[in-house]
This record gives sequence, structure tokens and C-alpha cells, in this order.
Amino acid sequence: MLCPDSQMEALTQALQDGSGSDIQAVDRLIADYPEDPRLHFLRGSILAGIGRSIEALAALRQAVELAPEFAIARFQLGFFQLTSGEAAAALSTWGPLALLPDDHYLRHFVAGLTRLIRDEFEEAERHLREGIAANSENPPLNRDMELILSQVNQISAAESPTPENGDASATSFLLDQFSGRSGR
Amino acid sequence: MSRARGPSGLELVLRPARVEASLWRRLRLEAQFECRTELFDRYAAFARGIAGSRYRRRASKRVDRSDFEQFAFEGLLEAIDRFDPLTGVPFTAYARRRIVGAIADGVGRMTEVDAQMTQRGRLERERARSLTASQLASLQPADPLAALSDLAIGLALGLMLEGTGLMAPASGADPRPTPYEGAAWREMQARLVREVDRLPDRERLIIRQHYDTGLSFTHIAQMLGLSRSRVSQIHRSAIDRLRARSGALK
Repeated sequence: MLCPDSQMEALTQALQDGSGSDIQAVDRLIADYPEDPRLHFLRGSILAGIGRSIEALAALRQAVELAPEFAIARFQLGFFQLTSGEAAAALSTWGPLALLPDDHYLRHFVAGLTRLIRDEFEEAERHLREGIAANSENPPLNRDMELILSQVNQISAAESPTPENGDASATSFLLDQFSGRSGR
Repeated sequence: MSRARGPSGLELVLRPARVEASLWRRLRLEAQFECRTELFDRYAAFARGIAGSRYRRRASKRVDRSDFEQFAFEGLLEAIDRFDPLTGVPFTAYARRRIVGAIADGVGRMTEVDAQMTQRGRLERERARSLTASQLASLQPADPLAALSDLAIGLALGLMLEGTGLMAPASGADPRPTPYEGAAWREMQARLVREVDRLPDRERLIIRQHYDTGLSFTHIAQMLGLSRSRVSQIHRSAIDRLRARSGALK
């Protein structure tokens, strides 16, 4: 049984307002609706934001196991694995996204990131740009890809330090996407 | 867009805290023991730093700096094996206490006899035993001099490897070339480093940890989950392989 939309909206609103103790609120709902993949995705997002990466990954995995077609959760799980240095696992996670239409923005993002880790920078940039142009339903994801694009551009122009993407921003980013309920 | 140097595409997207969490997760929950080595490499300089600071404040002049480092590595390995990454405590905070404790315990239990042989001496003896076993196994009664010559070559390879700085130079080591390091010596060292890179994974790992980090076979065995004799055997096999490939030495 899935969590009713009204409860889900109340929860995401509370999280975005910064009120309440986030994890406990989600955990309470998960106790009532353990098979709702959205709750596990949300839990993973919160845990990622507070630096509890091991548990975050487990929660994201749980979301994808419960709903293999939950495209944005699958993309985010792969992205989490990629940023953790587990590129092979990320590629494996993203595999089923190949079933999305050719022009789907997640297809472009996966293609861009795949090229990026092969150091094929021109192709990576092209795919990321195409993904950003195709993505109108998930603006926060565009911001993240634009950040990667700017890093690619920076290092091509001059020396640039490794990006310091704080996990705090990742939280709000994931929560933004979640509240948009995109990609399902 | 092509770049001559700089971070790789993967490095661009890595988030260090997540990379480390991934190592702990894979070691603890997925039994990927190779992650222990990666974690050790990440924190070897940290342990060496604590050893250096304790060495400068040491009460006894009998104990060598390399002994302090070896005890620190012992503490680090123990900390890696016992740390619970889910507690939220940073690993360095947890490990520091264990490393300091391991140094204090190690120095305390060293007898005067132990102290007379430094860690470096112990490593060299350990190495020689590993190679001697190889020579004994292949010793032809008719040709003892050839066997002795092989042993000498094996030890010489070890001596050359020590100066190559395959990884980070040990703190306190003098990086300047010595009068013995002529052009031919340096050229041979460079060839040796290339050959080490071509060794099978496990042999390369043991050579690097032993000659570069200065880890004893016992500690390498602990890190890799192998027996000490197995590590000695792999070391021997690596040296044999290097010797076979470095034809100019023969």
C-alpha cells in the first residue's frame, strides 16, 4: 500500500520548510507504508544531505528495488554511486534507463556522464547540453548538470580544484526533485 | 575539448566523503577486502605523522623512527578493522587514539635486544629469508655459487626498490641522490619501477607496501587477510619475476 498523496505532500512541505526532525518523520511513514518507493527515495535524499552516505545508498537502492521503473530514483542512485567512485555500479544501475525514449533527458544525462568518465569531454558536453535542453520537468537536475558542465569548461581553460559539492546542497536538490514528483 | 593534464572526468564528479563511505561500506558490508588496502593507503601518511610527532617526544633514544612508524601502522590496521563507520565518529578521531596506544605499547614492550635491531633491519632480514627459501628450493648441489648469486641479485633488487619512491616518500627520508646513484643506477631504478607496475596485482601491492610504505610481511598479511608465509611467498615470486625481466642485472 502506498502512502496517500496528502500525507506525502504534507511531509515534503514540512521538510522543505525545515520543520520537524526529518528522518524520524520519514521513518514513521515508512513504518506505515514500507513498500512506498517514494518514501525510501526521500529517506535516501535526506541521509545523503546529512552525510550518512552508507545508509543513503541503502535507501536509494531500496527505492529502486521496490520500483524498478522509478526513473529519477534510478538515475539518482547511479549518480550517487558515480560520485562515490563506483563507476561500474553506476553504469549497471543506469542500464535499464536505456528503455526510455531516445530524446528523454535522463538518456542524455546518462550518455553525457558515461562519456565524461571516459574522458570524452566534447561528447560529454554535447549530451549534457542536449539533456538540459530536453529537460523541462526537472529544473533542479539541470542545475546539477550545469555545474558539471562548468567544471568541465573550467578545467579545460585552466587549473581548477575538485568540485566542492556540499552534501547540504545535494539534499535540497534531491528534495526539490522529489517535490516535483518527476520521472515516475 | 582535449586537455593535456588535470583531473579526469571521473575525478570531476567524485565527492570525497562519499568515496570514503563507499570504501567502508564495501569492506564492512560486502566483504571486499581490497578496500582495506585502499583505506590503509589513505591514512598511512596520517599514521606516519603521529609516529613522527611521538618520535620527537620519545623518552628513550634506543628506539628507531622506523619502529615508531611500524607500531603506528599496526595501530592503523587495528583501527581499520574495528572502526564502525555508522557511528558518525570521524575515522581520524577514532584511529588517533589507537595509533598513539599502539606506539606506546610497542615501544614499551621492546626489549633492549629488539631495539638494537631497527625495523629496517628486521625488514631486511624478513626479505632475505623470503628469498633464501626460494634459493634453497632451487638449489642445485652442483651449482651453489649460482644459487648464491641469484640470492644476491634478489637482495640487490630490493635495495634498488627502496630508493624508488614508488609512492609518497617516507617522512624523514633524504630524497637527494647519493654518490652511489649514478646514471646507470637511476636508469635501472626507473626500469624497475616500470616493471613493478607490470606485476600481477597482488605482487605489485606487496612490493609497494613492503618497500615503499615499509610494512612488514606480518602487517601486509593482516591487511590482505593472508598468512605471513603466503605473503613471503608472493614477495619471492615478485622478486623472481622482476629478476627475470631485468635481464641487464644478470
